[in-house]
Amino acid sequence: MVNENLVKDVVKEPYKYGFVTDIETEKIAKGLNEDIIRLISQKKEEPKYLLDFRLKAFEKWQKMDEPDWAGLGYKQIDYQDIIYYSAPKQKEKISSLDEVDPKLLETFDKLGIPLTEQKKLTNVAVDAVFDSVSIATTFREELAEHGVIFCSISEAVKNHSDLIEKYLGTVVPASDNYFAALNSAVFSDGSFVYIPKGVTCPMDLSSYFRINSGDSGQFERTLIIAEESSSVSYLEGCTAPMFDTNTLHAAVVELIALDDASIKYSTVQNWYAGDEEGVGGIFNFVTKRGKCLGKRSKISWSQVETGSSITWKYPSCLLLGEESVGEFYSVALTNNLQQADTGTKMIHIGPKTKSTIVSKGISAGNSTNSYRGLVKMGTKAAGSRNYSQCDSMLIGDQASANTFPYIKSQQPNSEIEHEASTCRISEDQLFYLQSRGIEFEEAVSMMVSGFCRDVFNQLPMEFAAEADKLLALKLEGSVG
Amino acid sequence: MKILEKIKNNKLINNQTEIQKICLHKLQSNPLPNPKSELWRLSNKAKFSNFLNYSFNEKNTKFDIPYPESSQNTVRLIIGENCQIKLIKENYSILQLSEDELNKYIKEQIACFDQNENWSDLLNLSLSSTKNFLALKINGSKIPPIEIFSHASSDFLNAKTLVIFLEKNCDIELLQVNLGKENSSLSQSTFFLLEENSSINHGVVSYGENRSNLLNSLNVIQQQNSEYNLGSLHFKFNYARFEISIKQSAGNAKTNIKGMQITKKNEQISTYTKIDFNGPDGFLDQINKSLADDKSHAIFEGSIIVPKIAQKTDASQLSRNLLLSKHAQIDTKPQLEIIADDVKCKHGATISQLNEEELFYMRTRGITLPEASKLQLSSYFQEIISFIPVSKDRWDLLDKLLNEN
Repeated sequence: MVNENLVKDVVKEPYKYGFVTDIETEKIAKGLNEDIIRLISQKKEEPKYLLDFRLKAFEKWQKMDEPDWAGLGYKQIDYQDIIYYSAPKQKEKISSLDEVDPKLLETFDKLGIPLTEQKKLTNVAVDAVFDSVSIATTFREELAEHGVIFCSISEAVKNHSDLIEKYLGTVVPASDNYFAALNSAVFSDGSFVYIPKGVTCPMDLSSYFRINSGDSGQFERTLIIAEESSSVSYLEGCTAPMFDTNTLHAAVVELIALDDASIKYSTVQNWYAGDEEGVGGIFNFVTKRGKCLGKRSKISWSQVETGSSITWKYPSCLLLGEESVGEFYSVALTNNLQQADTGTKMIHIGPKTKSTIVSKGISAGNSTNSYRGLVKMGTKAAGSRNYSQCDSMLIGDQASANTFPYIKSQQPNSEIEHEASTCRISEDQLFYLQSRGIEFEEAVSMMVSGFCRDVFNQLPMEFAAEADKLLALKLEGSVG
Repeated sequence: MKILEKIKNNKLINNQTEIQKICLHKLQSNPLPNPKSELWRLSNKAKFSNFLNYSFNEKNTKFDIPYPESSQNTVRLIIGENCQIKLIKENYSILQLSEDELNKYIKEQIACFDQNENWSDLLNLSLSSTKNFLALKINGSKIPPIEIFSHASSDFLNAKTLVIFLEKNCDIELLQVNLGKENSSLSQSTFFLLEENSSINHGVVSYGENRSNLLNSLNVIQQQNSEYNLGSLHFKFNYARFEISIKQSAGNAKTNIKGMQITKKNEQISTYTKIDFNGPDGFLDQINKSLADDKSHAIFEGSIIVPKIAQKTDASQLSRNLLLSKHAQIDTKPQLEIIADDVKCKHGATISQLNEEELFYMRTRGITLPEASKLQLSSYFQEIISFIPVSKDRWDLLDKLLNEN
């Protein structure tokens, strides 16, 4: 459970992850063309099939149009004005963490992500990604003992090429959508997880994404494979410095769960959201999708979205295996001029599949917060069920909250239930809390925290605490 | 699509009225709605072009109303036959709108038309001649119930338009019946203006025959303190679209909508609703039911728009759907777009089949499965049918729904 006292810790402070690490980086020229893609592939010493994968994706991307159906208003992105590869300069091969540039370790330390040995007391293995490359992965030996592979995707390409070739692009094909195609063409790094048959991963795995340079985009790719009867909980965190330019982040996450496997994927997204006037901030265009291939497999997405100036993200589940389960728990908070268009897709293909969607949107300031979801029952999804609940909370009379659930059924023997409501922080409740001696802002925090409780309960403990604190912080000064 | 060709070349209609000219002009540059837009995305393209493939006909064939006259004092009108109305009684009057009033109002409407949202209206107003235009101004009290019929002739596309101004403090019951004939297309557009303190119980029954098609559009503007209740039923159309747009122009009005569409065989029937709250204290209670059987496709899309000005809006929308066959399909998309913060808005949607436990219970009491299903369906239908005014006692709509194929 989340400790209520955490909310009390809140003090007025700006975006605290907004610092820039002054470190020598290796960047390639701005722009996007075939040569750049070949260069990225060459830098990463990739096999031919991967280069072909990239080039094919690039070819498709060139023929695609940037999607505009979400109705997000943002200035046009100049794809030729972005650096597609940027890496901190360090020695070629790193055998231990001691060889990692201390500045980088310090950066992650400041972010509260312990990479150094003495700080690795928490039982969470971390893969830290700085701009385009993964700089360190902790607890690897311990994980290896259980047969779990947890490394950067570049390393996986070198050491586990068979798995990459077999699964990469099978959940999110290169031509899936505009941003996925872009990512497939230029992805630089990301995490790779493989849980062998029958293994319950002994600790939570986590990746931490940090954008440091202002002119480079981040295009990471995550691939998680859970073999039969295995299970894993994976956490993802993101931050970026404050720049007054917009940075593009277009990631792809693919999850694959085989028979009886379960994957829990949690995100706390706190990219820089831009200032109060909406200047700067990250454009977050992410494609996340899980495939429940096996019988009784389960994929659960939980997310707390508080950052980014634009969020375009729909973590989805393809429920193919009989009795497979998909879950989506989300809290999306927007303030100032942020825009979030987020939701999920639950595609029921196999029989007796189940899905649950709980989405909580909070919009404050002049922001726009939309839930957009799709629930589809295919012709073979007999005996399947879906339950969706989307609640929105509006704070202030300038914010907007939209709900767009698409529901499609082709199977009579299935049930779909959807409900949505919109409310605001009620004055009666506020008055009650204040009459009990609780400060105004604290009362608001408590109520927001209560509104999000269904989702926070699904988050791993450390994350839940962080999320609660984050929400309180983000709402500072937006009420009253 | 013959009609579009003729529209493009401006060879369709002689002696065009001013309104026809404006709408034709709009269509000439851009004759079709965007098939990728949300409102047309799911529309069956073959069926839609079939709709437009009938030749256009301004004349009306003689038409016998298949429904019994009421014993009550009901005013019965057929669009295309009696458009010269002048009923002045002691307490009330039903008069024809003057041409100026009509043109002014329709032009105002056209000015805010959107190519995709109002395409059906644009087509209708392009085609509908003076003769097929029924425009009424109603005022007074104790007005008898009104029945208005529209129909298409077999092998033709007909366009009918109904405009009603309901003056202040006026209260009416109105049933609109759209009858689809075999192999026909009917384009029906309806415009209502509800002035302050007026109220209308409006019923729309659209009942087709084999291979009949319908584009039915309904535009309502509600002024303050007005109340608009709509009960609608669409069934037996090869292809039908029902587009409802309701605007509470200054808020503080009440809207209740209960609609149902039933699709069988290879039919596609869709309902699109857009409710716009343009002022504070608005109220909406909407329920839309669909039933899809055989290889049919039922679609519902409802949007509720609550801008900043519409504080204290109370809106709820429910979409309930029954999917009865493995080959049928239901799409539903309720949506809320909210900027005002002090509002109560909610929506819900369900898709399921008949309740098995209830069926089982009835069977244990000796009721056969077909009878038990019928019982369940009749209660499902009854909620909507009982909301449709004027018709309820005389036409056995429920019987039609349950027993006709």
